[in-house]
Amino acid sequence: MPKLERPLHGLPPATGHPAEPSADELLALVARGDEAAFERLYDVASGSVFGLIRRVVRDQAQSEEVFQEVMLEVWRTATRFDPERGSATTWIMTLTHRRAVDRVRSAQAASNREEHVARLDPARPFDEVSEQVSGRFEQRQVRRCLSFLTELQRESVVLAYYQGYSYPEVASLLGLPLGTVKTRMRDGLIRLRDCMGVTG
Amino acid sequence: MRTTSPDLHTLTGAYAVNALSDLERAAFETHLAHCAGCAVEVAELAATATRLGVAVEFTPPPHLRARVLAAASETRQLPPHTPRAARSRSWRPAGGLLAAACLVAAVVLTVQVTGSDSSQDQLTQLASEYGRFSDLLSTPDARLVTANGPAGSTATAVISPSRNELLFLSRSMPAPPTDRVYQLWVINSDGPHSAGVLPSGSAPLLTGGVTGAERVAVTVEPQGGSPTPTGEKVMEITVV
Repeated sequence: MPKLERPLHGLPPATGHPAEPSADELLALVARGDEAAFERLYDVASGSVFGLIRRVVRDQAQSEEVFQEVMLEVWRTATRFDPERGSATTWIMTLTHRRAVDRVRSAQAASNREEHVARLDPARPFDEVSEQVSGRFEQRQVRRCLSFLTELQRESVVLAYYQGYSYPEVASLLGLPLGTVKTRMRDGLIRLRDCMGVTG
Repeated sequence: MRTTSPDLHTLTGAYAVNALSDLERAAFETHLAHCAGCAVEVAELAATATRLGVAVEFTPPPHLRARVLAAASETRQLPPHTPRAARSRSWRPAGGLLAAACLVAAVVLTVQVTGSDSSQDQLTQLASEYGRFSDLLSTPDARLVTANGPAGSTATAVISPSRNELLFLSRSMPAPPTDRVYQLWVINSDGPHSAGVLPSGSAPLLTGGVTGAERVAVTVEPQGGSPTPTGEKVMEITVV
C-alpha cells in the first residue's frame, strides 16, 4: 500500500531540504530497540497523541496517565507494526484513540451513562475544532472538510471520534436508528477521505 | 468473490472511529480478515480519522518526556511475529467475551460461506440476521455465557433482558442420532419453554420470549421437536 501520509508535524519538507525522518522510518528503528529513535519519535508524535487523548478524556491527570500508557505501548509493540496495513501515524493514532476510548468507557461504565450522554451538547466538539484553528494546514483542512459533511454525518463522526461514544450512544443522542448512525459514520468518513485525498 | 452483507460492510465507519462494542469489534475484525474490500476501506477510513486526531494536537507537559523514555528503557519489547503468524490479527485476548465474539463471528462466517452459492434471497436473509446479532451484541445489558457440551463441543448464549432476546450458538456439536434433532429450551421458574429446533450445522438460533430465563438447555428430540423435553439433555447453560 502506498504511504502518502505526511509526517506528523507540518507540511511535507520542501524540495531540496533534507527530510526529517518520517514516523514510519522512526518506528521501524524503534522496532529494533533503538532508544534514540524512540526519543525522536516521541518528539514527532507526542503532540498528536496527547492532543487526541486530552480531547477524548478531558481530565488532565487521566489524560497524562493514558498518554504515558500509549507511548509505552508504542515502544513495546512497535515490533508488531505492519507497514503494509497503513502508515505509522495511523497505527499510533488508532492505538491512541482506542486507549482513550477504553478509559472513558470504563469510567462511564460505573456511572449512569444514559444520563451522562443526555447532558452533553453535541455541537461542542466541532466548535472547539473550529475555534482553535491556528493556521496549521491539518487543522484548516479538517475544518474545511468537516464543513462539507451533512449535519448528521458530521455529528455522527465527531461525537464518536472526539467524544469516544459508541454508535448506539450516538444514535441515542441524535435520536436516530442504529442503522442510520452506522451509515452516517461511514458516509461521513468517506466524504472526509475524499476531501482530504486520503489513500490509506 | 463472496457477497458481503451490506449490514456488515457499513460497520467500516463505526470501526474506524472505534464506536463498536468489544464484541462487535472482534466479530468485525474476524470478518475483516476475509473481506479484502472491507480491509482497504477500513485502512482508508482509519487514516482519515487519524487526520481528525492530528488536528487537535496539544503539547504534553514537558516532565512526561523523561518519564516515558525512562519507562521505555526498562520495558522489554514484544517479540515480532514470525512469518507464519504474521497474518494473524493482533487483538489482545480479553477472556471469554472475545472468545465468544470470535465464535459468533466464526459462525456468521460459516453461515456466509455455506450460503455463498445460494440465492440472493438467502444472502439477504443472512444479512438481516447478522444485523439482528449485531444489534443484540451492542445492547448495553447483553450478557454472554458459555458452556461445554458433548464430545468437546461448546455453546454460547448471548442474552439481553431489555430486548427480551437470546442468541444461541454451538460449535462442533456432533450430529444428532438418526431421526433425532437438537431442541433448545429456555427455562424459567415455570419450567422449560421451547425455543425451537437447532438449525443444522453451527447456525445460530435467535429467540425472543426470554423474560425470567434462568437456564437454557439442549435436548435430543424426535424430528420436528417436542412440546416439552422428552430426550436426553446434552447441554445446559445458566444465564442468570
